[in-house]
Amino acid sequence: MGKRPVMAITGTSRGIGSEIARHFLENGYDVAGCSRGNAAIDMEGYLHSQVDVGSEEQVRRWIRLIKNTYGCVDVLVCNAGAIAAPTPMAITSGEVLRSSLNTNVEGTFYVCREISKIMMLQKHGRIITISSMAVGFHEEGTSAYSASKSAVVELTKILAKELAPLGITCNVIAPSIFMTESVKAMGEAVLKRAMEKLTIKRLLTAEEICNVISFFAMPQGGCITGQVIHMGLVI
Amino acid sequence: MVSKERAFELIQDSFGSLQRAGLLADKIVASAETVLLGIGSPLDSIGFVTFIAEMEDRLYRETARDIYLILDDIHTFNIENPYLTIDALARYIVMITGSQKEKHG
Repeated sequence: MGKRPVMAITGTSRGIGSEIARHFLENGYDVAGCSRGNAAIDMEGYLHSQVDVGSEEQVRRWIRLIKNTYGCVDVLVCNAGAIAAPTPMAITSGEVLRSSLNTNVEGTFYVCREISKIMMLQKHGRIITISSMAVGFHEEGTSAYSASKSAVVELTKILAKELAPLGITCNVIAPSIFMTESVKAMGEAVLKRAMEKLTIKRLLTAEEICNVISFFAMPQGGCITGQVIHMGLVI
Repeated sequence: MVSKERAFELIQDSFGSLQRAGLLADKIVASAETVLLGIGSPLDSIGFVTFIAEMEDRLYRETARDIYLILDDIHTFNIENPYLTIDALARYIVMITGSQKEKHG
């Protein structure tokens, strides 16, 4: 029996991160997950760490632990993200802006940077980052969040170009709406308005998101890099 | 603490790994003046980053401690004019492995 592929996922304590982790554990992966809180997954092959992805030092320690445990990383899913209730930019606090940039941009940056060092040495790997439909919508009230998710797309495309010579691909998923506690907290009115703007006017399922990750992760995906898959809407 | 001589050996070993991985065309003999980053370096950007990753890996195996090579922390490194020699890196490794030992010990 061959060695199990290794996937690292950020933000696995709830929401889509938890669903992605469970899906790939069920499909033969070893999964190293992290979140700020305790493990929410109790399955064979799952290794949890408490990490604030916005902390450079904590990310370094986490990635070193993964390397020492598994020796390699085949797939990274940068899922952890911060989302705040929508407010017009004129009354958006600096704290909301800093929180969005810290988790969504710095977190993605640090994790991608440290994992890419492992992938560069092994000369293969798949990096998948998560953006948002909000980027395409230019949705009112999401200036901090959308700016941070737009940055995720840009840094992923640049990383894709830098790592292409080493056989590593980097792609982005921009999901429409997947029901999580954070999304619920935004309120029905916001959700209704967002749903009306979607091309496919329904909630995404975890299975649909995992399917796109599998598509990027498969060995035959070696020439697909720097791409953004928008789920549920036409941009 | 990693001595300067040992740092040179680790750097030489890392060059060997890069050459075996096809990231270095020719064998490089590490000397104090060998340029790692900047004009005259045999490493391209990918090669340099891979070299740093390789060195961090070797330093971990050597010391059993998490050691990260952070360019901004190297005394002689100027971000406005990136230039790094093996001598500067070796001195930094001696310093950082010594100070980390004190910090954690």
